[in-house]
Amino acid sequence: MSTPSYLIRRVLQAVAVIVIVTIVVFGLLHALPGGPARGILGPQATAQQIARFNHEQGLDQSLPVQYLHYLNQLLHGDLGTSYTLNAPVSRLIGERLPKTLVLTVLSLVIGLLLAIPLGMWQAVRRNRPADYVITTLSLIAYSTPVYFLGLILVLVFSQVLPWFPSQAPQGQSLAQVFSEPQALVLPVATGAASMVAVFSRYMRAATLENLSEDYVRTARAGGSRYGAILRRHVFRNSLTPVISMLGYYLPVLFGGALVVEQLFNYPGMGLLFWSAAQASDYPVLLGCVLVIAVATVVGTLLADIVQRIIDPRVKAGRA
Amino acid sequence: MTATQASAAPAAEPILELDDLDVVFTTESSKVPAVRGVSLQVRPGETLALVGESGSGKSTVALAAMGLLAGNARATGRAVIDGTDIVGADEAGLAALRGRTVSMVFQEPATALDPLTRIGKQIAEVIRNHGDVSAKDAAARAVDLLRRVGIPEPEKRAAAYPFQLSGGQRQRVVIAMAIANDPALLIADEPTTALDVTVQAEILDLLRRLAAETRTGVLLVTHNMGVVADFADRVAVMYQGRIVETGTVEDVLLRPSHDYTRRLLAAVPRLSVAEPDGRAPAGDPRPDDGSGGGDATAPVVELRDISVVFGRGKRAVHALDGVSLVVRPGETLGLVGESGSGKSTAARVALGLIPPTSGTVSLFGADLARTRSRARRALRSGIGVVLQDPVAALDARMTVGECVAEPLRVHRRGLSAQERRGRVEAVLDRVRLPRDIVRRAPGELSGGQRQRVSLARALVLEPRLLVADEPTSALDVSVQESVLKVITELQDELGFACLFVSHDLAVVQQFARRVAVMRAGRIEEQGLTGETLLHPETDYTRRLLAAVPVPDPVVQRGRRAERLATLAAGRTGAEA
Repeated sequence: MSTPSYLIRRVLQAVAVIVIVTIVVFGLLHALPGGPARGILGPQATAQQIARFNHEQGLDQSLPVQYLHYLNQLLHGDLGTSYTLNAPVSRLIGERLPKTLVLTVLSLVIGLLLAIPLGMWQAVRRNRPADYVITTLSLIAYSTPVYFLGLILVLVFSQVLPWFPSQAPQGQSLAQVFSEPQALVLPVATGAASMVAVFSRYMRAATLENLSEDYVRTARAGGSRYGAILRRHVFRNSLTPVISMLGYYLPVLFGGALVVEQLFNYPGMGLLFWSAAQASDYPVLLGCVLVIAVATVVGTLLADIVQRIIDPRVKAGRA
Repeated sequence: MTATQASAAPAAEPILELDDLDVVFTTESSKVPAVRGVSLQVRPGETLALVGESGSGKSTVALAAMGLLAGNARATGRAVIDGTDIVGADEAGLAALRGRTVSMVFQEPATALDPLTRIGKQIAEVIRNHGDVSAKDAAARAVDLLRRVGIPEPEKRAAAYPFQLSGGQRQRVVIAMAIANDPALLIADEPTTALDVTVQAEILDLLRRLAAETRTGVLLVTHNMGVVADFADRVAVMYQGRIVETGTVEDVLLRPSHDYTRRLLAAVPRLSVAEPDGRAPAGDPRPDDGSGGGDATAPVVELRDISVVFGRGKRAVHALDGVSLVVRPGETLGLVGESGSGKSTAARVALGLIPPTSGTVSLFGADLARTRSRARRALRSGIGVVLQDPVAALDARMTVGECVAEPLRVHRRGLSAQERRGRVEAVLDRVRLPRDIVRRAPGELSGGQRQRVSLARALVLEPRLLVADEPTSALDVSVQESVLKVITELQDELGFACLFVSHDLAVVQQFARRVAVMRAGRIEEQGLTGETLLHPETDYTRRLLAAVPVPDPVVQRGRRAERLATLAAGRTGAEA
């Protein structure tokens, strides 16, 4: 399939997925007990107050009508108004999304830069003590809940060894965030640790598989040195499965950000989502979920496109 | 490059000399000796064929000579290439030797190349490993090499990825990599086993020409005696890790002195060929036993004008195109053709596994398209199936007894457990397997035993039709012989018809009464095996037959000359 028609098809698919996500989330949130009126007006509110609130907010209309209304606003860039913060959701998200992106992208890049060489190195030194030690450590990091991992990092590198602050940068703008780089270290390290654990294992397995492929033997028979074979052939072949995994891993990263932001009191999307969930702030919740869904869909799309670039067989429909 | 020429220059120092080479594999539980005390020599310009069945250690010898043994293998003794002992050499020393002094061509061209690197670049890498050559010069030399190995449009093809080439072309690329630095020794490990016969003949011609041009010594590892007869000057026969016989190709293939060599050669199916002077053919094709083979009897299965199209639009593949076939009770129809010719698809249509796009299939007189689930299942219980890969065809988690009993559980639900056991034991007796095999796992059995288990499972319902898709192509010749013998005897005893799919013309000639030759989804010609494969009517069948190497070096030399003359005549005819 030619590249433009492939892109058009994939983008249409992506839009369809996002629409389905909005329907599902909208339906789920409205099925929750209590409803937003009770959440906002409190347990003392009378039935009339609740009815008036529901009428003002359009919550007494049928669900499909509410959904279409929501979708219409969405197309105009209007994500609604927060019940609790009295501000447009788009502005709330607009303020916080860049900070979450900084956190996740830094965790992702640093995590991959460590995981990929580590995984390859482990594969080359497979079944030797160093490999066993790293495999055990990454298994521990992999199976430890993110908040617990973060707490340990805070305990060790903030309490016992006073190297880094235990609170993330509190500044409103990105410039302010970057003005305290030492405060970013622990949140990013927490996010990156699980990345390293997961992706070094993928990379180790993919490298091991490729090292036993026939083409490695052919390259050796042609007089290529081991290091050159790793660099020129095994690296790229091992990277393709890791990249496709990466696309699916984006929602996990956002989930991690939720915990990390809560733990380090970092005012990003995760913290916004957290407080909105506690206050039944539907417009904010829907907005956050929508942003995460779009990011996930775009992430998988990017992963597929990168895959097409480095593996010519994908484009030809052979793999 | 004949033996006489090689012996005319006895002074030449051997390029490869193995001296008392041992290789031991260490497994978790034990040490397994794979090669024991192997000594051999290859001189410049000569081809030594190392032959033997699977597990004889012949590939291990080849890998040991390259220093490419797996990590759990240990070699002792001496393996000297051009003055350097490979055993105990360090990796840097080996890398300097590999690809320059000695190179290797592998069995499986589908996986031998890096799928993500353009072929020109992979060839250039070998050139740049052994000389201070700029990337541009190396790329230009890679294009020259592609031209030398007969890749059309080499400038364009150099930018292709391996998946864009056919199997034969990929093997040419592997050969181009191997000859990139004009090595003194070429080790070819089953270089044509994965290829069709016509492609095999081309690749062997190419290797022969390249070796002759540069007086390269060749160590050819193969199980195919026809390839040996076609290509080798001398032969070493391996059995259980040892060399049991060495000699000139004429001596070993025509006057074998060791008992094992004699048995091995006796098991090789020989293609009977019509002699140019009209003499009777050497072999004896299976006679028409006349058991219900008459054309008057109602067919067991009939394919009428079948077409199968996969996909649609521009990408549609016409797998079958107007195929008509009949198999009558008690007879064997051989379905032959090269890979992609549609022979397996035709067998699957007969089984009802692939619905035809057009045309009708009738099975035991009933139109398959008009029968519904229950009746169709009843029809299917009349067919037994044996497939190519005996490892993949049996569920590794079941015992042999469960595998064989499974068709009874599906189609004969009324049977008691005891009756079922009785039937399983009876059919195991028939395929000459011991009864106590029922409790073992398929993984514990040899390839030949596993294929007999498949056969037992196919026959347990006493089918009227056996569909066998390349049932012996994964087996050694001696095992193939015994499996084919069992099928033949049971067919005489039970009278089932057989649709026998194979790429091996010699096997089909021995085994089938009638044959249909397929090419690109069509039937090229069909008729009695004795006529069609001896006096073919179409050029395609003639070419196919001419490409099969026969295991007699004298006859094969004549056949090769004749084939090349025909090809040359065809070429000049086409140019004119």
